[in-house]
Amino acid sequence: MANIDKSHIIDRALLSGENYFSSILHEACVSGILTENDLKKLQIQCIEFLAYKCERYNSGDSSSIRVEIAESIMKSNLYTIGIFLKSLLDVDSTALQLKTETISEMYQKGRKIIDTKFRTTKHIYLMMQKNKIDNPNYTYNATIADKGIGIFFNTYNLDFEAHESPASIDYQICNPVDDLVGVEFIQKYTGNLLCENQFCRYFDSTIIHHLLCGYNDKYENLLINIFEQVLTTALGCIMVGQDPISLNITQEDICILRINLNMSVKELTATVRLAYNRLVSLLDIKSPSVKTYIEMSLPKVTINIFNAVKFDTISNVFPPLKDLNLLPKIRFFSNEKMENNEYRKIIEELISCRSSSNKLALVNEKIHTFGDLEDVLLDAEFSNAEIEMMFNILSEVELATLINRHLITDIMAEELSETELNLRSCLQRHVEQLNYNKRKRILEIVDFIVEE
Amino acid sequence: MGGIILAFELTRNFSSLIQAQAVAEIEKFNELTSWYGLVLSHNEAIELVETRSLSLRNNGRIEFGGGVINIILYEFCDSPYISMYNYAETINELVEIFYYYKNETLDLMSDDDLIKFMKNSFDGICQGSLELLSGRELAHMACNLRYGYAPDYLENEECDEEDEDGQY
Repeated sequence: MANIDKSHIIDRALLSGENYFSSILHEACVSGILTENDLKKLQIQCIEFLAYKCERYNSGDSSSIRVEIAESIMKSNLYTIGIFLKSLLDVDSTALQLKTETISEMYQKGRKIIDTKFRTTKHIYLMMQKNKIDNPNYTYNATIADKGIGIFFNTYNLDFEAHESPASIDYQICNPVDDLVGVEFIQKYTGNLLCENQFCRYFDSTIIHHLLCGYNDKYENLLINIFEQVLTTALGCIMVGQDPISLNITQEDICILRINLNMSVKELTATVRLAYNRLVSLLDIKSPSVKTYIEMSLPKVTINIFNAVKFDTISNVFPPLKDLNLLPKIRFFSNEKMENNEYRKIIEELISCRSSSNKLALVNEKIHTFGDLEDVLLDAEFSNAEIEMMFNILSEVELATLINRHLITDIMAEELSETELNLRSCLQRHVEQLNYNKRKRILEIVDFIVEE
Repeated sequence: MGGIILAFELTRNFSSLIQAQAVAEIEKFNELTSWYGLVLSHNEAIELVETRSLSLRNNGRIEFGGGVINIILYEFCDSPYISMYNYAETINELVEIFYYYKNETLDLMSDDDLIKFMKNSFDGICQGSLELLSGRELAHMACNLRYGYAPDYLENEECDEEDEDGQY
């Protein structure tokens, strides 16, 4: 039997998730469910209720309040009432509810729902913390931590700022939450992230790490979505007949995919859907929420693949596994530094020496370790031209080590001394002046260098 | 947002009603203040309510209900520095000063405490000078509160520095 949908006077699609109360009020007025008198009555009640809440906000100490705070309290009130109205199934009867119930009554009911939502969200958050995957991505870990989403549960003000979502959330989920605010936003976000984690846990966290390293060596600091990358690769594996758990798509597989996936969006959607069905049965995914979430993500994955085939960038969508530990490494050892007294004498000698060539000869003769040379560059009061001369006597590995220590570092410029800053800028200038091939070679060494 | 705009437009539509109510309340206070020889005419009462509305708007504040005018009238009616000749003018200025310093004190002081502080300073150290009250005593007290000191704290160097250049 075909589904018979009840026809509604108010179209639910026209209602805003964020400003539900205002939008339903508007639609109810347009459709004639509410008269002008009803609207006026509601407005007066809103003002009276705002006055009551402002008094509570001031604890009776102050009769006036800043306009921006009053506006925020008003938004909070309307948001809470909107939550109650959203909980009613039938939109038309929701509009009729506005005629019969007072603002205060609707607020109280909404407040109870927010209480429940807050507790539910906390439960979801704790579940999500437990099922987080082991991955070094910074934003992923920071968002899930107590100082990320966790802030919300300590600072959310249900009475006066119910529409706010005070939390530090930087991690981009595959299906972003657009049309919600307040506790609803956090609930939806944590719910989505929980589903993403549940799916990712079907895969080995080390393999996920290798996959993301294949995407970008420094993915740890990138704003990427782990789930989307894993899902796309798993679907790709199914399409080339590989085991999805391996997340391993070889160069040959990429060639096959490039040919096989060269199709229209409609055909590709069907292909991706088939791969999804196979993936669900292979991984034995039972959770309906995870399945729904993956289904929601399929259009995005499909479009990504379609564009990648179109612009011949398919290897970016299906990156190879890359184990950084297996990459060749250059181990750099530096001998022990000389005694302080001896070092002091050399520095005094260098400072008193007038000729640059003599300074260079002195360094060549008396400095035998990289650590000492680095100290001399900072302490011997060299001019920029002399520092440049010193750089010229360094080998490529030594130069790469200097770059590693002074240019590729997290230390902010304001934390450095004047001489350190000068050394940094001289080094930067020296690297820029090198010919293309030598610079490329040195920067490659920087990637592989490991200091012992 | 639409709801909020509607709601705040409503306060404007109903403001004439609220103002009439406030004027009536002020006139009622004449019964008490007349014991001290202080009476506000109908026009002066209207002017006072308008001063309140203007001060609220200028200081970005909103007020529900009767407001603080009645408390100010009650507190200042026995001041030795207020007579029939300067009553309306002084009360108007006190209302302006009050709302300005509600913001400057970051709402850290209740209405009653702020008005009491104003009264004690006005009758005491300022000897009836509104300039001294606003420019020195209240400014110093507000600065103390902002720096986390007690309102009557005297040795606040930050406030002295602030006073010299007229800003933080």
